[in-house]
Amino acid sequence: MEIIKGKVIVLGDDVDTDQILPGYAMAEPYDQLGNFAMAGLAGLDFKSVYEPGSIIVAGRNFGCGSSREQAPIALHQLGVSLVMAKGFARIFRRNAINIGLPVWAADIADRLKTGDLAEVDLEKGTVAVNGTVYEFTPMAPTVLKTLEYGGLIPRVRAELGIE
Amino acid sequence: MNCVERYLAKAAGVAETTAGQDLSCKVSYVAAHDVTAPIAIDMFRRIGVKKVFDPDRVALIVDHIYPANSEKARNNVWAMKDFADEFGVHLYHRGEGVIHQLMYEKHRAQPGELVVIADSHTGTCGGYGAVGVGVGSTELAAAMATGRLDLEVPQVIQIYLTGKRRSNVFGKDLILYLGSLFGTDYLVDRAMVFTGPGIEDLSVAERMTVCNMGIELGAMITLFGTVEKEPDTLEVKEIDLGSLEPQIARPFSPANVVPVREVAGTPVTQVVVGSCTNGRLNDMEQVAKAFEGKHVHPDVNTLVVPASKEILDEMERRGWCRIIRDAGATVLNPGCGSCFGAHEGLTSERDTVVSTTNRNFPGRMGSMKAKIYLASPATAAATALAGKITVPGEE
Repeated sequence: MEIIKGKVIVLGDDVDTDQILPGYAMAEPYDQLGNFAMAGLAGLDFKSVYEPGSIIVAGRNFGCGSSREQAPIALHQLGVSLVMAKGFARIFRRNAINIGLPVWAADIADRLKTGDLAEVDLEKGTVAVNGTVYEFTPMAPTVLKTLEYGGLIPRVRAELGIE
Repeated sequence: MNCVERYLAKAAGVAETTAGQDLSCKVSYVAAHDVTAPIAIDMFRRIGVKKVFDPDRVALIVDHIYPANSEKARNNVWAMKDFADEFGVHLYHRGEGVIHQLMYEKHRAQPGELVVIADSHTGTCGGYGAVGVGVGSTELAAAMATGRLDLEVPQVIQIYLTGKRRSNVFGKDLILYLGSLFGTDYLVDRAMVFTGPGIEDLSVAERMTVCNMGIELGAMITLFGTVEKEPDTLEVKEIDLGSLEPQIARPFSPANVVPVREVAGTPVTQVVVGSCTNGRLNDMEQVAKAFEGKHVHPDVNTLVVPASKEILDEMERRGWCRIIRDAGATVLNPGCGSCFGAHEGLTSERDTVVSTTNRNFPGRMGSMKAKIYLASPATAAATALAGKITVPGEE
């Protein structure tokens, strides 16, 4: 997988799915969900700091709450390139990989600030910021493979030989 | 093996398993609702298979936004109707109730059977011993196609219950208390299993409330076992039910919990009783008992949302709807109600809510600034009458 480069946006612990995509946006058409990404975020106007390809860096339990797959879909459609967090809620983590949004457990939020430029190599498990390289457990090969296909459904179709 | 390992081994068709092992398990029931089903249907069609694994074991349920509050919401219902017509699966789209209650009433899994629902509160079925795993839409589509779910066998945290609860303490108070012990992520990728003689003091409905909120502690699976202690668990936490007092979660986390008495007196503008957490008949009974011959405080908008039509019918037979309406409260149609912030009772920044639902995240019920407290129906009812947070039984 290619190295991911992007502007860092640092968030706190327990960023829940209602903050990532509020309940009122849930019935929106699939291709419109990106317009509502982070619309419910507490304490920060996300759109004011977001640039295309930004990397979200968060604390514990990112994506806690609902099973709504619309939450990672919204981040993916907006163009978020990666979410790094100390930890993820289980369903969000699986949903994100299944729809092709890279999410990676890396406890780095305390060392970065919003606006930093990061270069992340998920295969090697490295994050380079301001001349410093931080090392973490690399992303699991099976997860990387799903992401390279763009998600679980394209992977399954390819593996089953469905055109 | 502990019971989770035994159940998952059986579902996978293997003699033994242990925490950390990857298994492909046979699924007994699959379901989705109007927020998760439309994408699951789309994903299912993208997989390209021609039928679901067993139409009689698949249910699509319109509960989150019923009746539709927008053209878009209505189109989601049509997508579910079209799918049900084409593939012959069960469809509930006439306000029959919340998915987790309907699965109990209409498609009840046996203890140990695997239930996969595209909803985070799927653990609710652990109240009757089934293994519920909440998934997103893509995994649900795969489960509809294959009748199987791939998972990693979780480590088990065992909660060994003893004693008898006080008359003003319920399943809700127990799970809130556990939130204060474990926080929101200690149980991520883990299972929580309740055992010990104390479980006999909790009805199936109360157990469903407890299991419903396991996800708020991060749990992958939450279920009730037997009074016998389970072997091979990561840790055992013993709790004497008799030592518990009514609990309440303060804004803005379900784990931000204190005894109700510590926030007693806080003025409240809205009370909500209902949802997949606390919308069952025993919950409605707490409200009807408290409201009989009384009137809710004039400053409190009080909304009562039965979890299913069956429950609402029984409330009417028992005269509880009349009691609740005469008390100045509103009985809403069965469903998810205002729990998740799409309709039926949204807040403004001036509101402070006591709700029996499962989440009090910022903006969960409308305004980002509205303060939501989570408590039992008994606490909620006492609070509605007094206009301020009140310990039930100590009015």
